[in-house]
Amino acid sequence: MNASAALLANNPSDGPAARLSSRGDLTGFFMDLCAGIGADSYMLVAIVHDQAKNDARIVSSNWIFDAIELTGKRLIAGLAQSMLTAAPGIRPQPLLASQAPDADGLVTGEEARLLDVLGHAEIYSLRLNVGRQRLFVLFSAAAAGSIDMTELMKAQLKCCYALSQIPQLLAQASMQDPLSDRERECLFWVSEGKTTDEVAVILGVSSNTVNSYITHAIQKFSASNRAMAIATAIRSGII
Amino acid sequence: MKQASAARADVKEQAEALFNQYRNPFGTFTLGSQTHQAVTIPDAVRRCRWISIDLNASGFGLFFVSPSPERARLVACFDSDYPSVSVTTKFMSGADGEEIVRHTRVSTEPRWWCDDGVNGSGDVFRKLAWTTEIEPLAPGTSGIAFPVHAERGQCGLAVFFGSEIILPQDQLYEIHARCFSLFSAIALIRPVDAGRVKTISKRELECLKLTANGYTSEAIARLLKLSVHTANQYLTQCAQKLNAVSRTQAVAKALRLGLIE
Repeated sequence: MNASAALLANNPSDGPAARLSSRGDLTGFFMDLCAGIGADSYMLVAIVHDQAKNDARIVSSNWIFDAIELTGKRLIAGLAQSMLTAAPGIRPQPLLASQAPDADGLVTGEEARLLDVLGHAEIYSLRLNVGRQRLFVLFSAAAAGSIDMTELMKAQLKCCYALSQIPQLLAQASMQDPLSDRERECLFWVSEGKTTDEVAVILGVSSNTVNSYITHAIQKFSASNRAMAIATAIRSGII
Repeated sequence: MKQASAARADVKEQAEALFNQYRNPFGTFTLGSQTHQAVTIPDAVRRCRWISIDLNASGFGLFFVSPSPERARLVACFDSDYPSVSVTTKFMSGADGEEIVRHTRVSTEPRWWCDDGVNGSGDVFRKLAWTTEIEPLAPGTSGIAFPVHAERGQCGLAVFFGSEIILPQDQLYEIHARCFSLFSAIALIRPVDAGRVKTISKRELECLKLTANGYTSEAIARLLKLSVHTANQYLTQCAQKLNAVSRTQAVAKALRLGLIE
């Protein structure tokens, strides 16, 4: 029996759960979870801040291809970061496609009908914290009201735990934090108002080195200057 | 007479509903309540004590973890001896907490330890999925530590001690979820600067926001139809009001305080 099959056979709610180690395990884990809470589909999304825009990067999903194509990244990013997205410990609220919140103009009537046709009559958006990393998961069902609220809240924590077991895989898939440790440290100190020379003293390297770390960080974020690089790093929760 | 008792029952019901609302996020918490949950430290201590009672723990502590790679230390916020500070807390904030700090930054899984020689709590912890054992955070104690994270990237650690902790697997999720909602409430009060920030004008914030998006003073001046001098002045005022030494730090502070998105 391979690891993924072992995971599928093992209900994570009772007894020690098998550890996740591959993309296959991740898919198996989410399929299992969906069955447990009464959801039909899931989508794990990382939000990448790029040029002050938000872009959704899909890490794992069992949405059909057409649903992803027709819904579009912009709407997916919007759903993931909506007003109704629940942090752990907050009771989730459904984004009902048929009566979507039009207060913030998130979903138009057209899009709501589309989502309904595609089998997402009811969508829950949950925020996941995996250490400093932040991800979002959308659980949806074809029939409204079939998702069990208590199980959903437990599932949210299980997701956080499971994703904590595969940090490298997650970093690869979401590419949220492209910085090296040293670059991150430099940016942090600059954000605390330190000058290049001061950072050099703090880290015990030359100021040329500090400047090169910061330049690399700026390039990686495709930012135009230090202030923007720092803003990007803070927005994506890196520093 | 009947009416009076009915009214009393009404009041009692309302009070109980309110109590339960604060006590159990799984039961009644709804969206929007996030902003007016615990707003004072004593409130937060009370909510933490409820969690501790439900765990049958004998003590608790809440710590902040700096998100930067520097400072591998736990910074105490409060503990079960509030308003004073327990010996365990003093030990934990003094000790080198590198292992648990690193763990909190990259993972959300709870961690436990058992060093009290009784094994009561240890036996409970060993049965739990999703958690593993670590070196004792304080010698001679047993306990469990929950990493928690708030909206703006703040990290923290909720720790519960005791030799007779009761924690069935099903409860683990609920307890951790409550720690999360408690911490996000605390994270809202925590920025000490928040209350002291002088009002920043709309125009100044606009300039700061554009700076965060990579605009130079010249570009801001062109966009907002100001002189370069005025744009610079707005940014300098922003930095002063935020008690920052540079405009870069002003951008960072404004983002962390939620003044700009």
